Amino acid sequence: MPRKKPEPSKTSEQDTWKEDASQLSYEEALQALDVLLGQLQDDSIPLADLQKNHARASIYLDRCDLLLSQVEQSVRQLDPNTMEERTLDTSNNE
Amino acid sequence: MSAESLPTYSVRELNNAIGVLLERGFAPRFAIQATASRPQVKKGHLWLTLSDGDASITGVAWASKLKQLDFVPADGDGVTVIGRLNFWSARASLAVQVLDMRPSLTTVLRRFETVKAQLLEEGVIDPGRRRKLPAYPKRLAVLTSVPSSALADMLRTAQERWPLSELLVVPIPVQGEVAPIICGVLSRLAEQHHQLRLDAIVLARGGGSREDLMVFDDADVCRILASFPLPVVTGLGHEDDLTVADLVADHRAATPTAAMVTLMPSKESAQQTISQRRTRLSEYKRWRLEQASSRLKERHLQLHTLRPAVALQHRRNQWEQRQQLLLALSPQRWLSRGFAMLHTANGQPVQSIDDICLNEQVHIRLKDGVVQAITKTIQANESSDSQASL
Repeated sequence: MPRKKPEPSKTSEQDTWKEDASQLSYEEALQALDVLLGQLQDDSIPLADLQKNHARASIYLDRCDLLLSQVEQSVRQLDPNTMEERTLDTSNNE
Repeated sequence: MSAESLPTYSVRELNNAIGVLLERGFAPRFAIQATASRPQVKKGHLWLTLSDGDASITGVAWASKLKQLDFVPADGDGVTVIGRLNFWSARASLAVQVLDMRPSLTTVLRRFETVKAQLLEEGVIDPGRRRKLPAYPKRLAVLTSVPSSALADMLRTAQERWPLSELLVVPIPVQGEVAPIICGVLSRLAEQHHQLRLDAIVLARGGGSREDLMVFDDADVCRILASFPLPVVTGLGHEDDLTVADLVADHRAATPTAAMVTLMPSKESAQQTISQRRTRLSEYKRWRLEQASSRLKERHLQLHTLRPAVALQHRRNQWEQRQQLLLALSPQRWLSRGFAMLHTANGQPVQSIDDICLNEQVHIRLKDGVVQAITKTIQANESSDSQASL
């Protein structure tokens, strides 16, 4: 009889989700969240997956929240001739 | 009057005297509004005639000044010239030396209409070509003058509205004869927008007069904007200012600040969205659990209904119902009401005179017993052919 593959523990699974979510932009996290919300609405999803989907959706929600609480905007300057990026310099006019 | 009593000059002295008089009698700088005629560059200097229909005067922009001018008029353009009188005493010739020159509003609007008509004909201006702006832009290029109050306003607005977007400020000159420079920057950006990971560009310039926006009526600038591979948003001048660049852009915002508002989602509304999603998430979970719980209760009820004792009782009830029915349909009920049943000796029911013969033994079943009898006669009813009697 083949040995059953051990299932990943909840913690490691959630860690993976969190790591994946941390790479997502706001829009991507929102899209992923909406997909899970759609699945939660669909009662064909097994009850066993409910908690899993809920936990994962919460991770995406937290990711969106975190991004929205970001306060510093990244502003760089592009050299109009070389197209090279550098720190914004507002002291001299081009 | 004799010649000796009159002031006497050599030609050179006379011209010098006129020069001194003009220098003293005229403001060092003055403004003059005129139409520029026959502008031509000779030996690097721009010569033109300034006229108003009734009078004319020569104007000149020296080569050194010409390089600094934001605007060089075409023949017939209305201009406002800041100048000073220039008198050459050697030939007593007079000209307005151009220190600065700007197009008149009429000139600007005429050029706007000309370029607009040209680009409409070419299909460059086509509202049907406008593209959708990205909902959540990750990276934007902002083409504007650096530093400028317009840029400061845009950065502030972007910070308040959507700090998640990265901004790439591209300094460009925004006034004067700078169309080739802007075209060059736009072309390079178009080529490298993939590497720069841009989602859209903003072309902006703060307020000022409509004349200051003339570069954004340049046909080449507008052609490049129209064919730009990413959505273009313009925020040029004031709300009332309309340039050809606005007509070819995917979206025209009234001001630089409005351009950022247009392109960037609202942080507050996004926070509301997230809050709504959080509510939905918890509601869905609760709903699913309630639904599962309700289904479980139904199954419990079903299981209760199907347990052996209940099933047995159910069958017993069914049996009793049938027993009652059977009783209701029993022949005993008829016998008890006075009817009798007739059978032959071998138990066959007698329903007709044809079922029995004369002198045959029959059993007559009554409600309380059986009578054995012998048929003596058989008599049919009136309508029947045969006759018999017991």
